[in-house]
Amino acid sequence: MKKQYLLLIVAAGLLTFFSACKNETVYKTLIITGQNNHNWKASSPVLKQILDETGLFSAVIMNTPDKGGNMKTFDPDFSKYKLVVVDYNGDSWSEKTNTAFVEFVKNGGGVVFYHAANNSFPAWKEYNEMTGLGGWGDRNQKDGPYVYYKNNKLVTDTSAGTGGSHGKRREYLVSTRIIDHPITRGLPVRWLHGTDELYSQLRGPAKNMQILATAFADSAAGGGTMRDEPMLMTITFGKGRIFHTAMGHADEGGGPAMQCVGFITTLQRGAEWAVTGDVTQKVPWDFPSAAGVVLRPDFKEMTLEEAFANISSYDITKSTKNLSCIQNKIHSLAGDEQGLLKLEKMMVKVLVAKETTVDAKKLLLRELSWMGSDYSVPAIKDLVSNAELKDEAEFALTRLKK
Amino acid sequence: MANKSSRRDFVKRSAALVAGAIVLPQIIPSTALGMGRKIAPSDRIVIGSIGVGSQGMSNMRDFLKLKDAVQFVAVCDVDTHHLAKAKETVDMANNNKNCRTYSDYREFLEKEKLDAVSIALPDHWHGIIYSAAANKKLNIYGEKPICRTIKDGQTIVSAVKRNNIIWQTGSWQRSVANFHRGAELAINGRVGKVKYIEVGLPDGSKGIGTPPVQQVPSELNWEMWLGPALKVPYRGVSHWDWRWILDYSGGQLTDWAGHHIDIANWGAGLEHTGPVEISGAGVYPVEGIFNVPVEYDFLCKYGNGIEMRVANASRLPLGMGTTWHGDLGWVHVDRGDVISASDPKILNEVIGENEIHLYKSENHWQNFIDCVRSGKPAIAPVEVAYRAISVALLGEIAMTTGQTIKWDPDKEEIIGNPRASGLLSRPYRQPWTLPTI
Repeated sequence: MKKQYLLLIVAAGLLTFFSACKNETVYKTLIITGQNNHNWKASSPVLKQILDETGLFSAVIMNTPDKGGNMKTFDPDFSKYKLVVVDYNGDSWSEKTNTAFVEFVKNGGGVVFYHAANNSFPAWKEYNEMTGLGGWGDRNQKDGPYVYYKNNKLVTDTSAGTGGSHGKRREYLVSTRIIDHPITRGLPVRWLHGTDELYSQLRGPAKNMQILATAFADSAAGGGTMRDEPMLMTITFGKGRIFHTAMGHADEGGGPAMQCVGFITTLQRGAEWAVTGDVTQKVPWDFPSAAGVVLRPDFKEMTLEEAFANISSYDITKSTKNLSCIQNKIHSLAGDEQGLLKLEKMMVKVLVAKETTVDAKKLLLRELSWMGSDYSVPAIKDLVSNAELKDEAEFALTRLKK
Repeated sequence: MANKSSRRDFVKRSAALVAGAIVLPQIIPSTALGMGRKIAPSDRIVIGSIGVGSQGMSNMRDFLKLKDAVQFVAVCDVDTHHLAKAKETVDMANNNKNCRTYSDYREFLEKEKLDAVSIALPDHWHGIIYSAAANKKLNIYGEKPICRTIKDGQTIVSAVKRNNIIWQTGSWQRSVANFHRGAELAINGRVGKVKYIEVGLPDGSKGIGTPPVQQVPSELNWEMWLGPALKVPYRGVSHWDWRWILDYSGGQLTDWAGHHIDIANWGAGLEHTGPVEISGAGVYPVEGIFNVPVEYDFLCKYGNGIEMRVANASRLPLGMGTTWHGDLGWVHVDRGDVISASDPKILNEVIGENEIHLYKSENHWQNFIDCVRSGKPAIAPVEVAYRAISVALLGEIAMTTGQTIKWDPDKEEIIGNPRASGLLSRPYRQPWTLPTI
């Protein structure tokens, strides 16, 4: 008995030790919400999940008092955090909290402003310098210029008018304007975003701001300015780095704007950049392109194991997402012969399985035709006698020169 | 060769037709050049079309405009609606009802006695039909890209050369002044020694997801449309949109290689060679039946040190078109008569008498007909087209494998990478076979 206790204590000690080590590389993150003209109860847990999913962040959600409540009770200790995510649009914080937040950023704290956070605090000068651009809250020419792209040229427009608008919600194409920024590096330069509000006519101080990506607000798609409106921005304030995403209007459970892999990935990358000035995350295989919107209803990246589990029941009426996941794996193993052989074995296992559909086998045969080795050949030869798979099997064998 | 007109008439009319052209039809008896078929200068070129969808019809209309030089007699397509429309167009131009129609290219090639054929088909059919037409010793106006795979391309080049026919690729930008001028400035060193070339081709666009399987429309012979490609059920995608499916095309990249990469090669003296090293990355749709890359960005290194970057336009500072960068500046060309330079003075440069004067044509279709008549090579010969599409196809292989590809442009082989070498061809579905070289 004693021995077992000792083991337990040692195990518990080790566990604490390892989790302490792990915590050193995890950025403590504070998500501020509690008031918003948007569904903050839906968005804030999704933001937490998206950030925590990377393994880089450990986020806590802190709610302010309700509207009209005593804001003095909202007094976060920002110094405990590396990153603050603002999902808030409501009553002014206390002077003390405002000052603490400004100090936090000035001293190098990272910030993410999310969607309607740029509606907040129109009268708070430093806050608007941190967001760069904002909308609504009676913002107009006094708050700074409109900033947008027109005919591929950056425009700073000081004309009079209210700040902030959006047409009907829609899917829209996001165009990257700075393709070599750590946040956008390696991402497709054009990608379709899940149905969202397309924030337009934002205006503000726009100091120390870079526009990473824009979206064209097409009037034909349900109202729009016919300008390329800023969607993703970076701002520096003192020593602090700020990532501002105007995207991600939340429905219950997040909805397509938050489930969009483009939104998720840019948020994750923007958050890392805000903390460290660099991005170490890989571009996920399911990042969307101009070809179409890609959603993650559970906010998780599909794993190779899931793709293999799903593909065996593929038929031609279904999504080819599982195949894309496997193709991406083949691609990422380029030059790694052992890794490729391991993957090939997984593919052949599904290929020969009785329960695997003919359509799935056809997909696998096409891939094996070029990435396969001698290992695949006997299994493929067995399929030549199958009338439904003869063409694909011969296609593969011809290419494999067998 | 009906409706003979006198040589003098022909020259006069042609001159009016291509007013201002520098190269007038040079009428040399074809026998003098060892042509397979002899065509008297006074005769009209008898021509037919295989593939009369959108591009095939467009080419046909351009040939019909040359009606004093060309006699259109037959059309072939696997879609009866296409055939009916094409016949109507030809008959109207000829003012008769005589245009013959075929739904099988083999019968077309067997029965028709032609001087030339205009071919515009999905890329996966090019290897077989270009070779078959060449083997019938027909002069060919063939749409770019001339092949779906390197292997197809080698077969086509070999068939064209072996049969000693005139070939014109549908790379019509060569016959447009700004492209010619840009290439001539580049090749004559007006930007200094060309070291780096950027080629911007169209961005990919939205897919159609996974449409349901449908009844094949009665006008379409789906089995014949697929031909050597793997059999798949019909989902409402055939004409035009085949460009977005890898079985038939490489997407915007391969569709446009025959334009802006071709022009890049022209101005850099790379028309008869290829890169030695290719590396890069593509962005592929996550799902849906359209599976060609929607973004692509790869770098080709040539043996002489030149580098060529090929990418979708949004990735490049100057967007669409070809830009030759030399040690003294750059020149950029694009459609819409665009020509610009790092220093506007470059654009006023005069090319001296003893410098390189690139082949000049002001009407791409006329140039083909003139060359069929004269036996001189057309402005966009087959090997040049093969070298242009090779760049895109090697880029495609680099993107598919995720590896840097080493290519021997003389032996036309990938070096030391069997997996990548496998992608140099697409096996044909039985009973279709590619003719042996």
